[in-house]
Amino acid sequence: MPRKQPYQNRIELLQGTLDMLILQTLRWGPQHGYGISQAIRSQSGEVFQVDTGSLYPALHRLQKQGWIDSEWKVSENRQRVKEYRLTAQGKKQLASERTRWKQVMEAMAGILNPSAGESKV
Amino acid sequence: MSLNDRQKREQELDEEIGSHLRMAERDLIERGETPEEARYAARREMGNESLIKEVTRGIWGGNWMSTLFQDLRYGLRVLRRNPGFTLIAVFTLALGISATTAIFSVVYGVLLRPLPYDRPDQLVKVSEKSSKGQEMNLADLNFQDFRAQNRSLQGLAEFSSGAASVSGGSEPKRLVVASVSSDFFPIMRVSPIRGRGFAPEDQRPGAGAVALVSYSYWKQYLNSTDDLSSVRLRAENRSASVVGVLPPGFRFPDDADVWIPRELAPFLPARSAHNWEGIARLRDGVTLDQARDDLSAIAGAIKKQYGENVDLVAASVQPLQEALTSTVRSSLLILLGAVGFLLLVACANVMNLLLAQAAARESELAIRSALGASRGRMVRQFMAETLLLSLVGGAIGVLAALWGVHWLLKLAPSETPGLAGVSINLPVLFFAFGLCVVVAVGLGTFTALRSGSDDIRTTLAEGGRGSASSFSTQFIGRGIVVMQLAITMTLLIGSGLLGRSLLRVLSVDPGFRTEHVVTIDLALPPAFAPDQKIRRVQFLNDLFSRLSVVPGVEDVGGTNALPLATGISSYGGFAVLNPQQLSPRMLDILNRSARSNVWDDTALAKDLNDFFGAFGALFRDPKQGGSADYASVSEGYFRSLGIPLLRGRLFEDRDTMNAPHVALISESLAREKWPNEDPIGHSIEFGDMDGDLRLLTIVGVVGDVREASLETPPRPTIYVNYRQRPQSTYRFSAVVRTAGDPASVIVSARKIVRDLDPDVPPSTSSFTAIFAASTAARRFNLLLFGIFAGTALLLAIAGIYGVLAYSVARRTREMGVRMALGASAGNVMRLVLGQAAVTTFVGVFLGLVGSFILTRFLQSMLYEVGVADPLTFGAVALLLIGVALLAAYLPARRATKVDPIVALRYE
Repeated sequence: MPRKQPYQNRIELLQGTLDMLILQTLRWGPQHGYGISQAIRSQSGEVFQVDTGSLYPALHRLQKQGWIDSEWKVSENRQRVKEYRLTAQGKKQLASERTRWKQVMEAMAGILNPSAGESKV
Repeated sequence: MSLNDRQKREQELDEEIGSHLRMAERDLIERGETPEEARYAARREMGNESLIKEVTRGIWGGNWMSTLFQDLRYGLRVLRRNPGFTLIAVFTLALGISATTAIFSVVYGVLLRPLPYDRPDQLVKVSEKSSKGQEMNLADLNFQDFRAQNRSLQGLAEFSSGAASVSGGSEPKRLVVASVSSDFFPIMRVSPIRGRGFAPEDQRPGAGAVALVSYSYWKQYLNSTDDLSSVRLRAENRSASVVGVLPPGFRFPDDADVWIPRELAPFLPARSAHNWEGIARLRDGVTLDQARDDLSAIAGAIKKQYGENVDLVAASVQPLQEALTSTVRSSLLILLGAVGFLLLVACANVMNLLLAQAAARESELAIRSALGASRGRMVRQFMAETLLLSLVGGAIGVLAALWGVHWLLKLAPSETPGLAGVSINLPVLFFAFGLCVVVAVGLGTFTALRSGSDDIRTTLAEGGRGSASSFSTQFIGRGIVVMQLAITMTLLIGSGLLGRSLLRVLSVDPGFRTEHVVTIDLALPPAFAPDQKIRRVQFLNDLFSRLSVVPGVEDVGGTNALPLATGISSYGGFAVLNPQQLSPRMLDILNRSARSNVWDDTALAKDLNDFFGAFGALFRDPKQGGSADYASVSEGYFRSLGIPLLRGRLFEDRDTMNAPHVALISESLAREKWPNEDPIGHSIEFGDMDGDLRLLTIVGVVGDVREASLETPPRPTIYVNYRQRPQSTYRFSAVVRTAGDPASVIVSARKIVRDLDPDVPPSTSSFTAIFAASTAARRFNLLLFGIFAGTALLLAIAGIYGVLAYSVARRTREMGVRMALGASAGNVMRLVLGQAAVTTFVGVFLGLVGSFILTRFLQSMLYEVGVADPLTFGAVALLLIGVALLAAYLPARRATKVDPIVALRYE
């Protein structure tokens, strides 16, 4: 299959972080797919591009795992939209992912910026 | 998930994606884009909508069944749309699978199927091992030590079996009677279904004779009687009461019908009289190696104690199944390997077909991929198609294998062990099914990998003509043909080597003539008292004289060891001994041995041991002693089989029991022991063979004979006179040379034997049939190998033809351009043929290398032909090159017929 050529200069999401970002976004309340992608985009200062091709499989996967739930609502434009919301289990999952992410960040920072760490040179 | 749920979810997914698009569109319009632009931008940003849906649906899971069903349905449609392709592919696969399944069923039935006994994995054959690593039967004293001292066996028994005349049933029959020691049935874990087994008191020396019979004998010759008490059988010179009937199917050893206690036969206090086979059951948790070490330690101790007087140095412990099938194991496995190669060649053809198919479907696949079929989905689709092909092929293959097995069983040499257990049974079906799946996965993965590697956009842009991508497709196609040729070459070389071996074997001079000779096998009572021996001599004398007057009979003779049939089973040490070398005590032992008999006289047996102990050095001295085959024959034996008398005389009527004992020796023995002098008049001691120590005076030298098999060089042989040495003539083969058709003589011969003794049913045959049977295994292996090689060759030809024809068809435009630019027909012909030649040469080269490596496995099946026989290798290479180029000629000629104008308009 042909390699997809990026047509906009945006950073593709790191592998495995999309799930966490979705859960994080849903902490502020129920949201539909498009809304989630827009939220991630604007909150990352237009840097993160959420590929729709990854978003929907991710949403369905999270729902299958029981971390989010969905419901059909009618939007302000009288459109039927499918909204997702965080479950209790999802909240726990988010917390554990955040912890893990923090560890990753600290480790990365230690490597990329040795003087800032506790290394004795 | 029900179908309704699924449809609902599909709809919801559509709606969800739809609303996403609308919202994106609206946002874009709000940012000032025109509705038209907004719609395109939203879709562009979304990417491949079908793919997204496909992946999301994949997340739901639980749908593999419906996907598989969908794939299979689609696959079926694809296959139906290309009936030619489907038919050829299915047929090719069926061919490969049926042949492999048929051979596997034989391998399974003979080698793998567990023996039909309780815990068959614990049953082992125990033998003594000589310093040369040869396995020998057990001698009584060694057996006793093994039995008493081992720590690894639940039980150890000795047994022997042989043809015997059994009367007492509804008619006298020639059957196999087994003589088994007390632990035999407990080891086999078999007990009678009627009556009782052997009781301890039956298995004491001197006990009254009892017998067990097989279920089939009981049914057929004892009328399934429930009252066994009245049944007495006469067998092996005894009258035995039948105490029990063994369960149906139990015929161990050697398809026996009657079992008698081994203790009825005398115990021979010897350590080098290897008369008994050993069977044992391992204790729970004991491994083969542990048992082998255990028994070898005992053997080592025996060797240490008795030194030169014993010939065992270790013990061999072999799984019973392996011991029973050792003669056919390697050839069956080689045949399985060969048929596996055939299957590979068949798969290669299908692979090439699929490749061409995939190329033709490039645009379809590209569209499917563009429409959102994921890579995994496409692979699954290919799998479904190849699975359909291989399952249909496999089903036809199994049906064909049913017939194939029937045919194999008819053709297989009758002495192949375990043939009765060969059939298309459940394990074989499992194997066939597994084979189909492996083939399907292999082919499916291959095509998926191949067709996935092209760029969709290029393919779509080319509009499916695909001349650019065809390069790698063709390259791979030719690679497959190369492998096909190489494998075919290996099979052809294997058949060539086997064929040359058979020719070599058939051109061997066996030392005797087989035409117009009738053989009459007799099992006489094995009695050894002097008067009974004389009666046996009388019986044979009568037989010979009555046979010799039958019209059409030219010569009559007989032997206790017919060449090629029973082989000479007695083989032992002799010594050239001058009568003056005998002390009075030795002379006394010698004379007593002439009057009495070692089986019934234990004091004599002990003295015999002393005698051989005293002359031990002489027997081992390479100048004075040696080993030779022993045969008790009549003079007519040599005349009937056309074995030439080279010096001296044959036996004559005057050589009676009380006249000086005489012997004939074979040419090779004469040359070995008396290279520069006349052996006639010398005397030899060969009493170890029949318990009669009287010296034998050599009166003649006869030609060498290949007794054991055509492949085994003649062994030095000492022939004694049946009138003087009747000890072992209780199993005797009369040989009758006839002037014309042996069939009429056979009828008279049977009548004569019946008149002489109705209780000795003869088994008659023609020597030509025995000769043919001795090469049956070789012919069978060659035939199968030849069939596999021939089929592989046809498939490979089809392969190379197909690839070239396809390549020419795909390159019509190119050919047209070449010819338009001035290439002659010859140029084009050379181009195509050159391509074929390169493919062929690479294939032949790889085939030569592969054969060079693989033919060593054939070693055991070859005779006087090297595993790298240059003639075979060369001839096969030439054949393959010739045939391949011939197959390439047709497409090449078609290429020259391309009309440039038509070709350029084409497509």
